[in-house]
Formats: sequence, C-alpha cells, structure tokens
Amino acid sequence: MPESIPASTSTQWDGEGRLEVLTFNLGEETFALEATLVREILDLLPETGVPGAAPLLGSVVNFRGKIIPIADLRLAFAMPAAEATVDSRIVVIETEAEGEVFQIGIRTDKVHEVATLDRDASEEPPAVGMRWRRDFVRELVRRRDGVVVLPDLAAIFRSLTGAGDSAAGQPSTVH
Amino acid sequence: MNTQDPVAAFRVEAGDLLDQIEQGLLDLGHRLEDRALIDEVFRGLHTLKGSGAMFGFDALAEFTHHCETAFDRVRKGLAPATQELVAVILSARDHMRALIEGDGAGLESAGAAILAQLQAAIDAAGGAEAAPVAAPASSGSAGPATAARGWRLFFRLPAEAMANGTNPLMLLDELRDLGACRITARTDTIPALADLVPTECHIGWDIELRGDISRDDIDDVFIFVMDDMELTVEPLEAEPSEDVGQALQSSDTMSDIPATVPEGPAVATSAKPGPATGPASAAKSGESVRVPAERLDELMDRVGELVIVQSRLSQLASGHGSAVGNELALRSISEEIERLAGELRDTMMVLRMVPVASLFSRFRRLVHDLARETGKTITLSTEGETTEVDKTMIERLADPMVHLIRNACDHGLETPEDRRAAGKPEAGQVHLSAHQAGGEVLITIRDDGRGIDRERVRAKAEAQGLIQPGQPISDHDLLQMIFHPGFSTAAQVTNLSGRGVGMDVVKRTIESLRGAIDITSAPGEGSTVVLRIPLTLAIIDGLLVRVGEGRYVIPLGAVEECLELSLEEDLRSRGRSFITLRDRLVPFLRLREIFETGTRPDPHQKIVVIATGSERVGLVVDQIIGSHQTVIKSMSPLHRDVATFAGATILGDGGVALILDVAQLVMLGQNQEERLRAAG
Amino acid sequence: MTASILTVDDSPSLRMAIRIALTGAGYDVTEAGDGVEGLAAAGAKRFDLIITDLNMPNMDGLTMIRELRKAPEQAGVPIIFLTTESDDAMKQQAKAAGATGWLVKPFVPEQLIKVSRKVLGR
Repeated sequence: MPESIPASTSTQWDGEGRLEVLTFNLGEETFALEATLVREILDLLPETGVPGAAPLLGSVVNFRGKIIPIADLRLAFAMPAAEATVDSRIVVIETEAEGEVFQIGIRTDKVHEVATLDRDASEEPPAVGMRWRRDFVRELVRRRDGVVVLPDLAAIFRSLTGAGDSAAGQPSTVH
Repeated sequence: MNTQDPVAAFRVEAGDLLDQIEQGLLDLGHRLEDRALIDEVFRGLHTLKGSGAMFGFDALAEFTHHCETAFDRVRKGLAPATQELVAVILSARDHMRALIEGDGAGLESAGAAILAQLQAAIDAAGGAEAAPVAAPASSGSAGPATAARGWRLFFRLPAEAMANGTNPLMLLDELRDLGACRITARTDTIPALADLVPTECHIGWDIELRGDISRDDIDDVFIFVMDDMELTVEPLEAEPSEDVGQALQSSDTMSDIPATVPEGPAVATSAKPGPATGPASAAKSGESVRVPAERLDELMDRVGELVIVQSRLSQLASGHGSAVGNELALRSISEEIERLAGELRDTMMVLRMVPVASLFSRFRRLVHDLARETGKTITLSTEGETTEVDKTMIERLADPMVHLIRNACDHGLETPEDRRAAGKPEAGQVHLSAHQAGGEVLITIRDDGRGIDRERVRAKAEAQGLIQPGQPISDHDLLQMIFHPGFSTAAQVTNLSGRGVGMDVVKRTIESLRGAIDITSAPGEGSTVVLRIPLTLAIIDGLLVRVGEGRYVIPLGAVEECLELSLEEDLRSRGRSFITLRDRLVPFLRLREIFETGTRPDPHQKIVVIATGSERVGLVVDQIIGSHQTVIKSMSPLHRDVATFAGATILGDGGVALILDVAQLVMLGQNQEERLRAAG
Repeated sequence: MTASILTVDDSPSLRMAIRIALTGAGYDVTEAGDGVEGLAAAGAKRFDLIITDLNMPNMDGLTMIRELRKAPEQAGVPIIFLTTESDDAMKQQAKAAGATGWLVKPFVPEQLIKVSRKVLGR
C-alpha cells in the first residue's frame, strides 16, 4: 500500500535549530528518532512471524490489543539479523499517513537516552561512499562521541512495497 | 430501556411483531397456500392486538382486531389468501406502525380507508360468505343484577374438575366471602369404595347464602365451571331462616375488587397502566440492541477483572509499601487498567455488531412494492445474511442501498414483455449478498436486467461536458460517469427513482463510511454494484491450527471437513498434491512449505478442506488446535500486501494468530492445480 | 409459603406486566416463552398455578394444557389461560383440554391478582 506510507520526511528542527530525539543502537551504529514519535519502549515481546512479508517487517506483536509490525532496521542498513540480548528493546513509534495513524515497533539492540541534536552539526548523507542506501538516511548528525543517523522510515517502508525496488526486502511472493 | 416498563417493552416487541408480520406476508405472497405462514401472520396480529390492548394502545388494538378478524377467515379456510389481501394487510401493517409510533391523532380516516379496502379484498376472496370485517362483537356482560335477601344454592362439580385444578373448598370460601353461609354436603352420589376414583369429586353442596348479594356475584364464583356443573340458584323469597348457627364461618366483608371479569370485545374495555398515548417522541427513545448472552459474559469477565484491579489500587492507596515498590505496583496497575479499557472498548464494539439480515429484510418490502408499482415480476434473493456489521453502519447503509435497489428494479430490470422478447425468464432477479473479507464487508447488489446503456451514458457525459465528444475512454471509466453529480441515465424520470438523490450521493455516503463503490455491467445481462465497507472489528468463528511453530485461524464458515494425512500418504502424494475426496480430485497446499517454516512435518498432519463457492482446496496443517471465537484485528497498513492473510487475532495467552484469507488460498490451490495439469 | 406461578406467553411485554403484577402481590413468578418452554418448566418443578397464553409459536397453549394434564403429577394444578377470543368455542376447547379458568385480555393487574387468588385461595 504505497499510498499509506508517508512520503520522504524532512526533519522538523525547532525554531532554534534543535531536535529532541531518542537515540538507540543497531549493531555498532547509533540511530535517532524524533522523541515526539515515540509512544513506548518495551522489553521484547513474543513475536509472530508473518509468512510472505518482507523480512524487515517479518513479524507482528500484540501491543495492547493492537497487531503491530516489528521492523528490523538492521536489515535496511546492511547488518545481519542478530540474536536478542538483555539490552534489546522495542521502540513503539506512531506515524500517520493518508489520515491513517498506525504504530510500528522498532527492534533495537540498546536504547540510550533522549538527547537534543543540533542542526548545525547535521549534514546530508554523502552522495557517494556510504555503505547504505542514501535515500534511507535523512541526515547524519555529528556528536562528541560519533555520528547519529536519522533514518528515513518512510523511504525504507516504501521500498518494501514499491514495485521492483526491494533492495532491503525480499519479494513477498509465496511459493 | 427501563426493564420495569412494560410499555417500553411493548414498543420494542411491537416492532418485532410488525417485522414478523411483514416478512410473513411477503413470504405468503409467494406461497399463498402455506398454512404455517398464515398461522404465523395470524399469531403476530393476534399478539399485537392482545398486548396493544393491555398497554393502552386502544386505537391499535381496535384496528388490529379488524385485520385479525379478516385474516382469521383465511386461517379457518373460509377465504383464500390472495395477493390483494396480502397487499392490503401489508398497508394495514404500516398503519399499525404509525399507530404505535404516534398518538393516533389524524389517522382515523386512513385507518378507515384501509379497513374498507380490506373488506373489499375479503369480499372478493370470500365470495358470498364474506362476513363483515368490523362486526361488532356482542357484549358478554350479564343481564341486570338482581338483589335479594339471600340465595339457596346447590352445586355439584363435573367429575374432572378437581383434576383440572378447581378446588371446591375455594368456591365455598368465596361464597362465604359474599355473606353468611350455611353449607351442607350431599353425599348421596358417592359411589361404593371399589368404584371410587380418588381424583373425582362426588360431593354436592347445599348452601344458604344470606345478604344483599347480586346473582352476578354468585355466577362470578362459579364462572370457570358454570357451563359443565350442576348449579341451581334460587332466591330466598320466604322468611329467611333464622338458623344460621351452623354456618361454618361467615364474613361480611366484600372484596373491594370489582367483581366482574370483563368479557366481550377486546377493545371495548381497556386498561391504561402507562402513558400509552403520550407524545410521539416516546417512540423514538426505545432504541435497543439485542445482545447474545455470551457476549455479555465476555463483558462481565472484563468488568470482573476491572474490579480486581480496582481493589489492588485501593490496597495500594491505603498501603505502607516502600516508595519504589509502590511505584512499580502503580505502574503495573496502570498497565492493567489500560489493557482492560482497551478490551472493554473492543467488547463494546462487538456488542454493536448486528447481522446484515436486519438490513436485507427491509428490502423485501421495498422490492415487493416496486414490483407492484412497476408491474414487473421481481424475485429478491439474499445471501450471507449472518455477516455482521456495526449497527451504525447498517443504519447508514440503508439509504444508499434503497437507492441502488430502486435503480436495479426501476432502470435495470426490463418489463416482463421485454424480458420474454430477450429470451429471459419473465421474473427479474435482484440478488443481495454480503460477505466478509478480512477487515472488510462486501455487499453486492446484482440484477439480471438490461445492463447499463453505454451509448446513453456517453451521450449524457458528452452533453454535460464531462468528456469530449468522441474522446476515447475505458469502459470502466465510462461506467464511473454515473457517479457524477446530476447524472441520471433515466430518459424518463419515474416516480420511483431519479428523485434528486443520485448515484453521486450514494457514492459520497459510501465514501464517508471509508468504503468504496464499484459497478460492473454487461449489456443485456445485468449490473452488479459492490460496496466495500471497512470493518475495524468483527467476530468470526475460526478453526485454530498450528503450522510449524505458528498458529493460524481458518474461518470456520469456509471449512468443509478435516482429514488425517498420514506420513506415508504424504510421502506418496509428493509432487502430486491431490487428494481424492468423494471421487473428486482436490488440490492441497502444504502450508508448512508455503510459510517456509523450516520445521519437520508433524507425524499426524491434518488436511483442512476449505471452499469458496464450488472451488475447494485442502490445507495441510500440523495440528488442529480447536475452534476459536476470533475477534478480527486488521493488519498494519504495512502488511496489506501480504495477500495470504485477511487479518490477525489475539489468542487467550496474548499471542497473535494470523487469519488465513480463504479466497486467496483457494485461488493459489487452483493455480497450482492448473500448473500441475499443464505440466501433465 | 409463597405460591409459585408459572406464566407462559410469547409476548415479553405481557410477561413483564404479569410478572410485575404478581410479584407485587407477593407471588413467585417463573416465565416461559412458549408451550415447549412452559412444559419444560412445569416438568422441572410443580407450580401452584400456571397462567398461559393460547396463541404461541412452537407449541400453543391448548396443546401445552393437554400435555400437562396427561402428567399425573400435574393433576389439580390450576391452569388459567389468557384469551382475547370473544367466541365461546376457544374457551370450550381450552376447558376441554383441562384448563381451570381464563382471563380475557386486556385485563388490569387487579383482575389478574383476583383470578390468581380465586384459584389459589391465597
């Protein structure tokens, strides 16, 4: 359902060029999502696989009576799927498209803290030389201890359903 | 609804009775000889009359009484049921509704007109024997009461009276309540012991009853046995006997209750226990939903849990735990309440679900009337009436569907002559069906009429400037033109359709329900309109199965049977994937392979045979867990491209089971069959 | 001891009215929706009085009365039927079937209570 997925998002810095985010780890990389999107941080829940779905969205959980998909963003960023650890958490975010509000759980390897990013420290992803698909990254923000990646979830999810454009996902055919 | 208000209960009940009468009459229109239907309609009228009179709906009771009297002739075989009679009683039924909803003011002349029609219909049907419909029933009250100084009575009960519940002692008690009595038993007719039947009463009684007592009062005592018993009553003319000393008991108190049990015409006397003729607005307040008991039980379970959580919260509020411990406990309670609130909301939503039968049944009358008005013969068939839809949705679907059905009957179906000329059966078909597909309900309105005239649509679209003259346009797009505001293809606006409400309004209404409307039409063969209505929640009966480590729900309505698939059979059938089922080859799908479970097959695999229409396919599963009341939850928008599943549900242990999309799997099975056939 | 009364009627509003009137007069009331239910209820427990409608789906009142009277344990249990029939024939049929008495609809609660007292004696 491509039309239900938000178009590429532009980052909503506030008037002073700041952005409150929740930072978390996928593998060795630090990612961040707008704190306003975050609904809840959960311990891992029993997941139910969805046969035929893209591996990146390969399972669902019962989140307070709602069926929400769990996204494994590692697969979008060229990392192998990994076993859960004691630090693994699900970050439930809420996003809206076409008047339809829906929730997604993002499986993370470790959740850090809510931090404030500075627009002055951010830059567009480089056109060349990046290991990842450029359109999956909105911005890279430099911090003292490294670089934080702001992923473009809309682009990632769109790539799963977009025709013939499934670098991250497997075609969802059944055999 | 106030459970202690019989008048409110009557309004609800009367609505049901009127529906029952209407459905019965409509069925009767097709099967005029059907005794069961005649009885059913009669019973409906009868109950409506009786209860209506009970609760002060006098005008209703009187009017219904006349209809019942007329219909009783049909029931007794004195007059045949005719189409005219059915039509008149249908309109009478509408009048009854008006009488229930309003205060009856201003309806008298309409009622009289219907009764006149009814008389005419009965005259026509019953011939010379026809009885006047509104025959005034004679008053059953007894003649003028005679007062006397007293009475001398003798009575003896019929043999079976005691077995049938009459207790002579109570009759004597009643007489004593009237006045001073001297009672003597007559034992002369008691048979020999060998002949005595212990349940029969052989004693007679002589009574001298003194006081200013009317004959009516005495008859009243014996009212239930009067016809069969021996009873003589003579006034005590002569000097009253002074010898009252033997009276076993006497009483000078009279019952303060009116002593006559009214008889005679049901409408002549009536009780008014409630504000029955109050303002018409009262009729609207009685809206109610009937709820299956098990759904109430679910609700009760949730409420029970809520009470437990509430007591935990109270304990916490009055407790002395550590701050940290309290905070943890509070959080857990908060989560619990949040979960319960969600579940309560879901259960409440389920309570609002009603079968579309209540919607479809309304259209039988519509089609009946349309057939009469247009002079066409129209058969309405329905399917999938048990499909459940939210109550509000039903209400909002009614108007658009009325319009679509009118269109089908008025514009779609041809006259019987035209149909004969086209080589079609004379009776036009209108078919309504509903079925649920995942989170949606599909409602289809199909007719076998002339189909949509493309040329006319094009001409109209060009005239309105919607398309350029000669502009190429796909057939589908051309048909969509009829949804354009102000677009109507009826060359002649008839009384039935084209009254300002157009297909554009229908489309807007459906879209406002977040639904979609689609129309297909084949010239000469008819048109089909499909309404897709989203369902955020619905309940189905499901079969819970295990495939690999996952649990899945198969809608039970689609399941035909379950068979064992032994390992040997499984191995033998490899590459074939067919089973023979009553001489038919049925393709089967190994869900373990389709779902890529990577697990070994269970040694006791099962085949669940599912079907849509005449197509069937077997699904090989590892285990059948059991049946499961399934609350359908929609899949995330991100998963809507996964066609194999129609939704998901939450199991008792909190886990998730995906609901298989039967139509998709059957298609998959058929494709596999074709592939294999092609491969030889 | 409180007298227990079984009312059999397919009209819920009428059953409600009967229940309200009779419980108000101190009787115990059990309800049944048609003859089949009525028979089942009467089979489970002996009532002091049965009040039944005649026109009902599934099993009408006449049939139910006949069935009840076949059972020895129902001997002597008063049965009152409710009727709107003004013709005598129905009354005779019901009586022949074994009914004790009748009450003509419509009735006011007082009439119902009076008839109940009449056959129950309390």
